[in-house]
Amino acid sequence: MIYLDNAATTLVKPPEVIEAVVTAMKTLGNAGRGVNDASLDAARTIYGTRVKLAEFFHAENPRNVVFTCNSTESLNIAIKGLIDPGDHVISTELEHNSVLRPLYEMQEKGAEVTFVKADRRGCVQYENFEAAVKENTKAIVCTHASNLTGNMLDLKKIGAVAKAHGLLFIVDASQTAGVFPIDVQELGIDVLCFTGHKSMLGPQGTGGMIVRDGLVIRPLKSGGSGVQTYSKTHPKEMPTALEAGTLNGHGIAGLNAAVDYINREGMDNIREREMMLMRRFYEGIKDIPNIHIYGDMEAEARSPIVSINLGEYDSSEVSDELHMSYGISTRSGAHCAPLMHGALGTVSQGAVRFSFSHFNTEEEIDTAIAALRELTDA
Amino acid sequence: MAERLNYYILFATYTQGMALKDHLRSAGIPCRISPAPRSIQGELGCGMSLLLEEEHIEAAKQCIRENHAEYYDIQALPCQINAKRGRFC
Repeated sequence: MIYLDNAATTLVKPPEVIEAVVTAMKTLGNAGRGVNDASLDAARTIYGTRVKLAEFFHAENPRNVVFTCNSTESLNIAIKGLIDPGDHVISTELEHNSVLRPLYEMQEKGAEVTFVKADRRGCVQYENFEAAVKENTKAIVCTHASNLTGNMLDLKKIGAVAKAHGLLFIVDASQTAGVFPIDVQELGIDVLCFTGHKSMLGPQGTGGMIVRDGLVIRPLKSGGSGVQTYSKTHPKEMPTALEAGTLNGHGIAGLNAAVDYINREGMDNIREREMMLMRRFYEGIKDIPNIHIYGDMEAEARSPIVSINLGEYDSSEVSDELHMSYGISTRSGAHCAPLMHGALGTVSQGAVRFSFSHFNTEEEIDTAIAALRELTDA
Repeated sequence: MAERLNYYILFATYTQGMALKDHLRSAGIPCRISPAPRSIQGELGCGMSLLLEEEHIEAAKQCIRENHAEYYDIQALPCQINAKRGRFC
């Protein structure tokens, strides 16, 4: 199999990530539930991972690192915990349903949302963020990169608007955490939401949020915390305030090893290789007759994604043919990005998304290029 | 025989405790993680504490101040069990 669906999840993980999970499953107790050796091993592993992630994203303190199951959970906590009825939120048409659906829920409860429009290339005009600000605007919630086109948003520009108007700045880094450096303090990000299983190269079921020091978020869950047992309310201290229930210690051990791997290999090296593979693919297919390639391929910084359609073929049929005849795994359909497909004009056709990992080889890319050429008899 | 006191640093969360443990280790101040006795845990304390000997308490307080470390309380309790523990990790 040639796996080119890394924007959904990275399939190939560093061996030390797998080893760390296996070791954790043999040794870790429940963190924060007692101080026996196994429990303490779990507590040390989880705290150690907080420290590493705080450094990785330039958080002020490890207590600002909250573990969740994925970006979706992080975004639900951030959006539902910070937005109230009557508040206005600015978001974009680039968003994934993990942002859109919590926002729609808040709309039903009386919040207002303005979506900054994207053009046919999936690009936004940054002055539209400023223009969307109203008296009751509370927050800007946006992705760092579209999971459909790979187009990135300039967080510096958007963060400057948020800062100028005293707005909360909530960022979905699902497609960029692990390959693009993100400094939450420099960018003025109040809540950074990330997943562990994509470019962070960790296990599924891991993710988290980096919360600005002092920002109080209404918790989505309450319950077991291992602390303050006799209190009727969930602890208010971070990160426990947002972490009810047993954490995924085994997965977090894997994420810990993944951060070590990225630091050792070098995020820049990983990103440059992925960009090289993406460019190689793009250069190999851009002249195929009747191919439609979506997104701003001229942009210097972009997530390693190329989404296409072949003529009027249904994207699912193309993806299925790539799978059945060539052993190439891609993602077709709507990609949980309804507004983005609307902007691109691909609601009915969908698109075939190719997304790359630094573990992919040049030969795999060339095979994918040849397959598309054969499908179109180019 | 003089009564021996155990000194416990108590926390609101495990994260606070793990953070201070790192600071104390870096400062070379002996302590070990211990279950927090119920009798001193109070309503806000969590189940873990850092156990220190009396001679290291002032150094620990200094370390807390220098690192702006978070904790809930510091309490002394007479040692109830004469365990063979002179060992701090």
